[in-house]
Amino acid sequence: MDEEYDVIVLGTGLTECILSGLLSKEGKKVLHMDRNDYYGGESASLNLTQLYRQFRPGQEPPSELGRDRDYAVDLVPKFIIASGELTQILVHTDVTRYLEFKQIAGSFVYRDGRISKVPSTEMEAVKSPLMGLFEKRRAKKFFEFLQNWKDEDPATHQGVDLDKDSMKTVYEKFGLEPGTQDFIGHAMALYLDDDYITKPARATYTRIVLYTSSMARYGKSPYIYPLYGLGELPQSFARLSAIYGGTYMLDKSIDEIVTDAQGKFVGVRSGGETVKAKQVIGDPSYFGAGKQAEGKVRVVEEGKVVRAICVLKHPIPETDDSDSCQIIIPQNQVGRRNDIYIAMVSSTHNVCAKGIHIAIVSTIVETDKPELEIAPGLKLLGPIHDKFVSISPVYTPTTTGQDDNVFITRSYDATSHFETVVEDVQDVWKRVTGTDLVLKKQELEVQQ
Amino acid sequence: MAPAASQSTVNVKLLLIGNSSVGKSSMLLRFSDEQWLPEDESSATIGVDFRVHKMDVNGKKVKLSIWDTAGQERFRTITSSYYRGAQGIILVYDVSSRESFDALPRWYSELETYVSDSVVKILVGNKVDKEFSRQVPEAEASAFAQRMNSLFIEASAKTSINVKEAFVSVVEKIIDTPELWDSGVSGQSKGQRTDGGRGGVPGGVQVVGLSDDQADQGGGCSC
Repeated sequence: MDEEYDVIVLGTGLTECILSGLLSKEGKKVLHMDRNDYYGGESASLNLTQLYRQFRPGQEPPSELGRDRDYAVDLVPKFIIASGELTQILVHTDVTRYLEFKQIAGSFVYRDGRISKVPSTEMEAVKSPLMGLFEKRRAKKFFEFLQNWKDEDPATHQGVDLDKDSMKTVYEKFGLEPGTQDFIGHAMALYLDDDYITKPARATYTRIVLYTSSMARYGKSPYIYPLYGLGELPQSFARLSAIYGGTYMLDKSIDEIVTDAQGKFVGVRSGGETVKAKQVIGDPSYFGAGKQAEGKVRVVEEGKVVRAICVLKHPIPETDDSDSCQIIIPQNQVGRRNDIYIAMVSSTHNVCAKGIHIAIVSTIVETDKPELEIAPGLKLLGPIHDKFVSISPVYTPTTTGQDDNVFITRSYDATSHFETVVEDVQDVWKRVTGTDLVLKKQELEVQQ
Repeated sequence: MAPAASQSTVNVKLLLIGNSSVGKSSMLLRFSDEQWLPEDESSATIGVDFRVHKMDVNGKKVKLSIWDTAGQERFRTITSSYYRGAQGIILVYDVSSRESFDALPRWYSELETYVSDSVVKILVGNKVDKEFSRQVPEAEASAFAQRMNSLFIEASAKTSINVKEAFVSVVEKIIDTPELWDSGVSGQSKGQRTDGGRGGVPGGVQVVGLSDDQADQGGGCSC
């Protein structure tokens, strides 16, 4: 361990592993460490033993749930948007060769006490029970408008300026009812709250297009999911890093971030030794998150996310027995500021024993009784066999890290997909290297 | 997917495991490229992901993908995903290193965690060219392999002795065990494995079970 590294990466969550993989590929000498004896950090998928160790220390998993190794329970519920940024990175780095995906079988939205499929095309919109006859005509016009939009052709703009007019203006132009706005803004544009309505419509337009183009790719939902759970994603990027020379150490206690007199990063102390590097990247838990600040405050809490991992012995009612699905409960429907999400996967994805379904209900915490807040989501699941609840603060770094070479990533947020994770990767990459992240296509077989 | 016709290619995924510097990558290089790098030129594994090799076994066309550890064995940080979908495991130790042999029980316990019992295992004692500094008697290793329900062979990636034989005997045993590769026999959803090597489709995302799903959509739609 006398070697000096270019970058030390702390924590093997997805954000850190993508960065580690990309930096190693660029020729940087990377040492990647984690305090846990498994990969994935906050974005890991755990087997039963690990799940119980985390949520119910000292308790053995019940044998009726089946074999330990059949389980890979995600800690953070997210799906991959088929046409999204993470897919781009997966393809460009070729880590797809380590992964297999399944599509998520359905995308649903809650409205007036029941759940319905999210319509994603004009055809589906016309059939959807979410809208009355006249509203369907208006919605059809709205979707046609989006589909036909061409920046360079003002004739397709129908007098709308996406960069100036708010989404509210666009909704009003087409005369869409509040309920329709709800599923468009929340179940298609995937906004967690209603702040988007008063902002320029461009962002919402882009998100709806992403949703519909992703939907068009595989047909049933806009999402894909890796077999064996989300924890496969960080592991794949860790292998990418290792192939380009990255060194991996798990089960390592990180005792101190060592800095010099000016506060600049020097190295990381683990046990008796200090490993030196020019830069350090890590998740907030390695930089004082959740602890009394001593010295420099490097991360602050932005809010909290409550997540309930629910073990079910049946598919979610009213989802056509889907082996997997997402259900969005728009905030307006249940008198909240933030949406409630349900993400469900099953043995089809090799994440649990046969007959078991794993549903995670989550939302951004708004009160001091977070578990009550997700009750409307839990109610949709039918009988819940077992439940593991966590309340996780979301941390964000206080500085860019360019002054002290300490670069901190963000916690995983409440969104249902990885787009914000990729934004964080791009942001940290720029802070660390000083350049934009440009994905180069790599050659197929790695020659030595 | 019909029960594999004899002409169709069988995809087989093999993994190499074992301590650092026992010669895993050298075995792979010797087998797939007929090459060997002398000690001063070979270093800890960098850049080897996997190799694809085609061969005929008992009249069957086999597309082998052989995966290397990417050096992640050094601090025992091999990812669990490395083990996914493997049908054969090549456990390598160095006959001139007692330590590498003594580490084998830990590798076997890792296999117990991650792969099913039916997966074919072979224990390979590499570097028999270093007979003069042998630390592990052949008889002892052979008895150990038997206890661990593994095939056994001693080999040398340097002189090429028994390298091909090691790979071929694993593949033969896999072909003799149809439930490892023939979804029609196993009854399990081996169809979920689109490609034994997962290296089949560059530049795309493999989404499994799509054609089935879409067939369902066409046939089972109640509208």
